[in-house]
Amino acid sequence: MSQDLRPAPADTAAAPETAAPDATGLTAAQIKRMKRFDNPWFNPKLIWGAGLLLGIVALGILGRLFWDTDLVFTGAGMPRQGPVGVENIRGQVGTWAHPLGTDVSGKDILALLIVGAPNTLYVGVLASLIGMSIGIFLGFSAGFIGGRTDDVIRVGSDVMITIPPLLILVVVQAAFGDITLTLMAMLIACFVWQSPTRLIRAQVLSMRESGYVQMARLSGASTGHIMFREMLPNLVPYLFGSFIANVTTSIVTAVGLEVLGLGPQRVPTLGRVIYDAINSGALIQNLWWWWGAPTILLAVMFIGLLLINLGLDEVSNPRLRRL
Amino acid sequence: MSILDLENLSIDFPTSKGVVHAVTGVTLSVEKGRRVGFIGESGSGKTTTALAAMRMLAAPGFVSGGEIRLNALDHPNVLDLSDEEMRQVRLSKIAYIPQGAMNSLNPIMRIEHQIWDGIVAHEGGVSEAELKRRSNAALEGVGLDPKIVARLYPHELSGGMKQRVCIAIGTCLDPHLIIADEPTSALDVITQRHVMQTLREAQARIGAGLILIGHDMGLMTQSVDEIAVLKKGELVEYGPTQQIIETPQHPYTKELISSVPLVGGASFLDPAPATPAEGEHGDDPLLELRGVSKVYGNVTALHPMSFRLDGATPQIISIVGQSGSGKSTMGSLMLGFNPPSTGEVLFKGRDVYTQSAAEKLAFRKDVQAVFQDPYACFNPFYRVNHALKFPFERFGLSKGADHTRTAMEEACIAVGLAPETVLDRYPHQLSGGQRQRLIVARALMLSPKLLIADEPVSMVDASLRATILKNIHDLKDQHGISILYITHDLATAYHVSDYVMVLYKGHVVEAGPPKEVIGDPQHAYTRLLIDSIPWPELDRDWGSYESARAALDRLAEIETRPETVYRGEVPGFALSQG
Repeated sequence: MSQDLRPAPADTAAAPETAAPDATGLTAAQIKRMKRFDNPWFNPKLIWGAGLLLGIVALGILGRLFWDTDLVFTGAGMPRQGPVGVENIRGQVGTWAHPLGTDVSGKDILALLIVGAPNTLYVGVLASLIGMSIGIFLGFSAGFIGGRTDDVIRVGSDVMITIPPLLILVVVQAAFGDITLTLMAMLIACFVWQSPTRLIRAQVLSMRESGYVQMARLSGASTGHIMFREMLPNLVPYLFGSFIANVTTSIVTAVGLEVLGLGPQRVPTLGRVIYDAINSGALIQNLWWWWGAPTILLAVMFIGLLLINLGLDEVSNPRLRRL
Repeated sequence: MSILDLENLSIDFPTSKGVVHAVTGVTLSVEKGRRVGFIGESGSGKTTTALAAMRMLAAPGFVSGGEIRLNALDHPNVLDLSDEEMRQVRLSKIAYIPQGAMNSLNPIMRIEHQIWDGIVAHEGGVSEAELKRRSNAALEGVGLDPKIVARLYPHELSGGMKQRVCIAIGTCLDPHLIIADEPTSALDVITQRHVMQTLREAQARIGAGLILIGHDMGLMTQSVDEIAVLKKGELVEYGPTQQIIETPQHPYTKELISSVPLVGGASFLDPAPATPAEGEHGDDPLLELRGVSKVYGNVTALHPMSFRLDGATPQIISIVGQSGSGKSTMGSLMLGFNPPSTGEVLFKGRDVYTQSAAEKLAFRKDVQAVFQDPYACFNPFYRVNHALKFPFERFGLSKGADHTRTAMEEACIAVGLAPETVLDRYPHQLSGGQRQRLIVARALMLSPKLLIADEPVSMVDASLRATILKNIHDLKDQHGISILYITHDLATAYHVSDYVMVLYKGHVVEAGPPKEVIGDPQHAYTRLLIDSIPWPELDRDWGSYESARAALDRLAEIETRPETVYRGEVPGFALSQG
């Protein structure tokens, strides 16, 4: 039996373990569609979703530059004006002074949206950020320390998941009376940390035994290094997905509270506009622009978040990508 | 007349990077009653070719050219059949025996019901008594007692029994062709021999053709009549087994044959250098185990054992055993990952499990490991140089970024990798062999005193195994590192080690220098292990079905009274049970 005693020649490039792909015989359109997947982040759903959300942010920024936000106050214009070119029940035709019309007390709807939409998004993002931070901390603690700590965190989050958040929040907010956006976000955050905790705990448990974590332990890595330098980067797709899902949940919860009249009283939010519209009989008076405009904006926001979530799924799970 | 003809078969997989030609222009035929082996490395297209004959290619693969003819059919061209016709052909004409029997049986169905499933699907309403008679016959045909096994659930069977149930299902309708896809890759050698003999017997009884897919040249030599060697989707060599083994033509075939190390014969290693590198001198032995045992629940993974490794002259100590023998438990005990149930693990006289943080860091620097799975060892988020750079800096070996870089490059060159082509890549861009060599390079850079190599080559393609073992062996000879080599492969242990311990169910059953233990085994278990290895040599016969059966009985006997056979000492290492 003879054996080559020299070390094998260094493999030049990354040795392909199967036959190399071959792009001959494909139409240009097929190649173009394949190219699209070279960079997974260049995903149409992700781009559209991000575009819709950025549109709402842009509405907030550009609106403040080019529109007068003082129009959100009572009596800023004639009450019950329709959007441009729309006639209201008094036969008045909407003008460019209030492109989306005004409400029953003369507040400009466009100004309300410019101030309110970013506020709603802010509550959602802040609540989700706080919730994720709690979730990352507790999930890592449970997965990494194990034992009694794990038991407490696991049972705690399981119990919290069964409690309907709106029920508790209605009671709490009613007791608080008028609250700020930030306080509301913090209260909602108390109900969105459970699922990231469970998700991260499960991932940490499986990752803890993986080869590269063993290697890091062999390299004398500290616990902090293993958690944040070795494990956390690999969790990013999950964290992103979980974050976006939590933003959606938080906005739904926030809008739910606002529509019940339990949100901030002095700051316009999309939910608050809808609450006012319902309360002032906008439906009976056929002031559809009053509740319609914020509803459309909320729908855009949710569709944007949904598309981002679907896109992220495809980024982290290549099997979902279709040719 | 042949049963199956493949003519100029090509299979393509459209992927996001272009079309992968998984199989190109394969032509061969399987005769009635003949056994054909498909051999090749992972990704060579051997499974894809066989699955195409059953029209079971995984999406998005498709047959892009050629013909598949199953001559038992009225319209032999398999590719023209409708889905319903194809469903009728599967199992009744072509049976498939899958790789992982543990995952192929339905966990919530009794064994006999799983056999009935296939019969009912093809023959419709068969009376229960008839079904029972046939499933019993099928189970008897694979050497399982239907009175016991038929009513059991899969989780109540061992791996070898499950694989034999899969063979029973595959042969119950007397198919014309059986495709067995690495049927024994998850089994240990003793069970492998028994399952392969069962499969051969069942196939001979019904007179079917057999396609055996595998990567082990030894197994092929012992099991099949003809061998087809595939490489990157092309049939590079095809002929009778004797011709392939004795006069291989293609260099790749030669490589496959020579990559199976043999017990005895020339070593694949360099002769030892005139002046071997010095090891670690100290008052205390390098590694000492004192009455160490490990118990998981009510399972004893490792019975109390003691040994001391001086480390003054570097040595390679092999720990050989089947899965479940406790060999990996020993590895993690010595790495300080898994505290022992009793006894203590001492490194340079200090208990590994009661060290201060600073001592622990020094211990980590001195004791390194190479693990089994090179695919899992790199963090997918970082370039591969992270795995080399981080410990180097962490242990304070680095004198700056340039020094780290040179050290990494030198280590890569020492294991035969070109630094510029590997270091700045992501793990998924490298092959398993490259990754495992990088892990060896990492160990080399850190120059530990002790290296624990836990099955370092079992997941690497055969052609690279010798190279990697040589790299590891060089660590001992040229860098003075003592090595504990944990493996199930007796042949490599024979060549690389200075001392061998054979472990069975947590007991050391035989220990001594490899020439004695493996070259001339005394303990019944060691002998059984060596007899069960399929050698790529036609004159070393694997034995009959009966002898494989008898071997299993003997194994059960050994289990009741384990004893240690000591086969001589080597200086610098002492072993005792208890």
